[in-house]
Amino acid sequence: MASQSGVQPHPTSVVVWDIPSAVVAGERFRMKVGIKCSLGSDGSPGSHDSDVCRLTGGDFRIYDHQGAQVAAGKLSGDRWPGTTGLYVAEAEMEAPKAEGLYTWSVKGPQGEGSDAGVPHAESSVGFGVRVVARPDYLVAVEAVDKVSHKPIPGAHVVMHPYRAVTDERGIAEVRVAKGAYKLFVSQTRYLTFGLPVEVTVDMTARAELDLEPERERN
Amino acid sequence: MAKKHNSDAKDRELQDKKSVSRRDFVRTGAAAGVGAVLSMSGTGLAQVSPAEAIQWNYEADIVIIGGGCVGLPAAIRARDLGASVIVVDQNFDPGGKMLHSGSLISLGGGDPLQLRDIKGESDKEGFVTAPPQHTAAELTEDPDFLFRDHTDWSVMDAAAQAPYRYNERDLHRGYADNCYATREFLMANYVRMGRISGTHGNGAMSRARRAVCFLMEGAKTDIKAGTVSKEDAGIEGVRSSHFAPRVMGDGSKVASKGARTNGAALARPLEFSAREKGARFLLNYHMDEIIREGQFSGRVIGIRASYSPRFDPGTGAQLESLWKNGNIDDRAETVFIRARKAIVIGAGGHTANPQFRSMFYPAFRDPAFVSSGWALLGPRGQDASGIIAGMRVGANLAGMQQNLSYGPTFHIPGTLATRDPYTDMLPGHPTFSLRGSTGIVLSPEQFQHLIVVNQVGKRFFNELLVTVKSGGAAFPAGPNKGQPRKGLDHVQLDWRNASAENIRATYSEPNAIHAALAMNEGSKAPDFFSGPIWAIFDRAAVERDKWNIDPPFTSPTNGFFFQADTIEELAAKIYAGHEFQRVPLSHLKETVAKWNSYVDKGSDPEFARGPDAPIYKIDMPPFYAATLYPVWHDSYGGLRINGQAQVIDMQGEPIPGLYSGGESSGGGNQHGLGRALVHGYIAGTNAAKEPS
Repeated sequence: MASQSGVQPHPTSVVVWDIPSAVVAGERFRMKVGIKCSLGSDGSPGSHDSDVCRLTGGDFRIYDHQGAQVAAGKLSGDRWPGTTGLYVAEAEMEAPKAEGLYTWSVKGPQGEGSDAGVPHAESSVGFGVRVVARPDYLVAVEAVDKVSHKPIPGAHVVMHPYRAVTDERGIAEVRVAKGAYKLFVSQTRYLTFGLPVEVTVDMTARAELDLEPERERN
Repeated sequence: MAKKHNSDAKDRELQDKKSVSRRDFVRTGAAAGVGAVLSMSGTGLAQVSPAEAIQWNYEADIVIIGGGCVGLPAAIRARDLGASVIVVDQNFDPGGKMLHSGSLISLGGGDPLQLRDIKGESDKEGFVTAPPQHTAAELTEDPDFLFRDHTDWSVMDAAAQAPYRYNERDLHRGYADNCYATREFLMANYVRMGRISGTHGNGAMSRARRAVCFLMEGAKTDIKAGTVSKEDAGIEGVRSSHFAPRVMGDGSKVASKGARTNGAALARPLEFSAREKGARFLLNYHMDEIIREGQFSGRVIGIRASYSPRFDPGTGAQLESLWKNGNIDDRAETVFIRARKAIVIGAGGHTANPQFRSMFYPAFRDPAFVSSGWALLGPRGQDASGIIAGMRVGANLAGMQQNLSYGPTFHIPGTLATRDPYTDMLPGHPTFSLRGSTGIVLSPEQFQHLIVVNQVGKRFFNELLVTVKSGGAAFPAGPNKGQPRKGLDHVQLDWRNASAENIRATYSEPNAIHAALAMNEGSKAPDFFSGPIWAIFDRAAVERDKWNIDPPFTSPTNGFFFQADTIEELAAKIYAGHEFQRVPLSHLKETVAKWNSYVDKGSDPEFARGPDAPIYKIDMPPFYAATLYPVWHDSYGGLRINGQAQVIDMQGEPIPGLYSGGESSGGGNQHGLGRALVHGYIAGTNAAKEPS
């Protein structure tokens, strides 16, 4: 649809990230929203340099699984680091009150949005929101090197949908709801540790990680 | 950036257009069955021999095609026996694929290193102070035992292949009988080797036979003293050198502190010795034809070769050899070189010839996929020319099914963002600019942080298994390699090794590469190429697992690594910027969205990821795409040779004066350098004894 000026709106792409892997029912959570002018992104020759369109101040709206608007925001005018034309904002919203996996969506940009005065068409993207009950129990995970027994800091702990990272002592505390999980602990240069766990009380788990075998180069 | 055409083919076109005048003259006579040709002279007709009919540019007792793992030992051995030698190599530097190898050499049969380690002795220079890695029982054998091991009908590997039953028997008898002499020969020609540690894939099951070559880090590179400078050895993660195209590794575990290991510690000493002993080198010449007296009869008498210089794509400067003593400097388009006694074909194999290797696997006809050493050796390296030239003068072939009985022959290494993912060359070697990137090396575990898609943007396998390949079996035996018994408990020639029960219990090949090479909706007639494969990941993966994705590990311009703000943009950049991306990645956006929904759910219903390792979304910009290319590394199947390294014709007879070995030959299945070194030693020995 052409704008009032008669210029065809540029297409856009919406990206969302930093959505928490587990959101407690009824609690507020945040995520990042990024929007980019995607004219010329198809690589066609002579196309527009989409990095030229600065999407400062464009509005976006967030809709829940039933199509109701749950949040709105405005692009900050900042580009996300490492990108050439992705303009970003942080959005905050409230999680549904019932557990489950929901598909929500973001639509934008609305309004003029571009400091070049060129109109941009709305686009949208869906994203998952995993809502969990308030976690009842604390699982303290200790990651150590199997041979040296030294702690492994910065190891990634996953008990889907909960995630954490070990501190300088090699320990991560994960609050989880009661249930059965596969505990994974992984770190660069180590084989991933996996262990089925049943959480019914506060507990500790010790993960002894083996180094990856040396790569044989013939 | 090159678009949608095969830039390698342009290089080869230049060679194919070379005209041939003298060859046709000789052939006419041979085709008539005369075995000699007539020439006009002022006084009437006179008979001349084929050798005399050609105007030779050079001659030597022995002409060796290829200055690599067969050619250099053959040259040295021939010189030791008093023969004159010209080594002809298409590349600008000798060493072949050996130069960028790991320099691990499996021999055996009671060779000098096994005997040294059994006694716990050091080497004569005192460089090897590490303790032996194996017990005396694991090292004790003789040539008969080695021969049985290499021809054992019963051994199966973990991919249900049989690596030893198809080995040419006479060839392996000769191999077993010459391992001792070859090890001794290497040690007498400046090659230092550490403690025996394990055995190569397909180097047979029963004993430890493998040792790495090293030089000691020192103030300067001095082959006689056994030292290499820090500069020449390279700096891990920073620089390679002209001396060593890959950074030399740490050999302290098998030698002593300061020992630096890899192919440079083998190829450069052998080259040094060959030059010191008076072998001449005609570099930058590609052997195009072996000339025989008759088409399929008589002796081989020489070769025709064409000029094949290589140039730095940035500066335009011609690439030159590291050392020059003994080099013949010529620039003629075509030369003819007479071989008074013999020709040795050590030209490498077929891994870089898509048409030839497609005999074994049609999916590999795609010119996108290269051989290991592609930048080092250039488009005329490993091009099957040695094998084809032998076939053209009547040679038989052998071992043509053996590419399938060594797992890593062709595989997908876990190295992203480079066309040759087998070779981790850094800047500093003259050919680095041809590849532009070293590559990002990831273990199978690290593939949990990304997804892998085919040329239309669809996933096709569990990413943690894409770079895993079983196959190849060698000491120590055990169920993880396909054998029912472990280590010294392995029994040669035992039916239980080949039982269906054992195969069912030990089979572990994931078959991922075959899914990668499968046709997809982008595969079009007549070739139905499966196309490039892409690793797709996000900024979160890079930060989470601490990857270095900057140059020289990637290149922003070589078309093997892309970065974009959105997935749609990433797909567009790949299609526009990668030479072999023939179709758009039309499914990529949908694939990433689906993957992220699987992560939300906690499991991957398509390829069963989830129970094996954590799964992560791909959602934080910027987004990245890096190639994950298959590579063809080992070359099995080639000219049939006997235990004397003589090339055998279709009637089962040696072709007089023609020898071959290593990857130009067939009938052996041992991975690595040991096979070729022994062949080169045998070939040089016997070639020198040929009559002139």
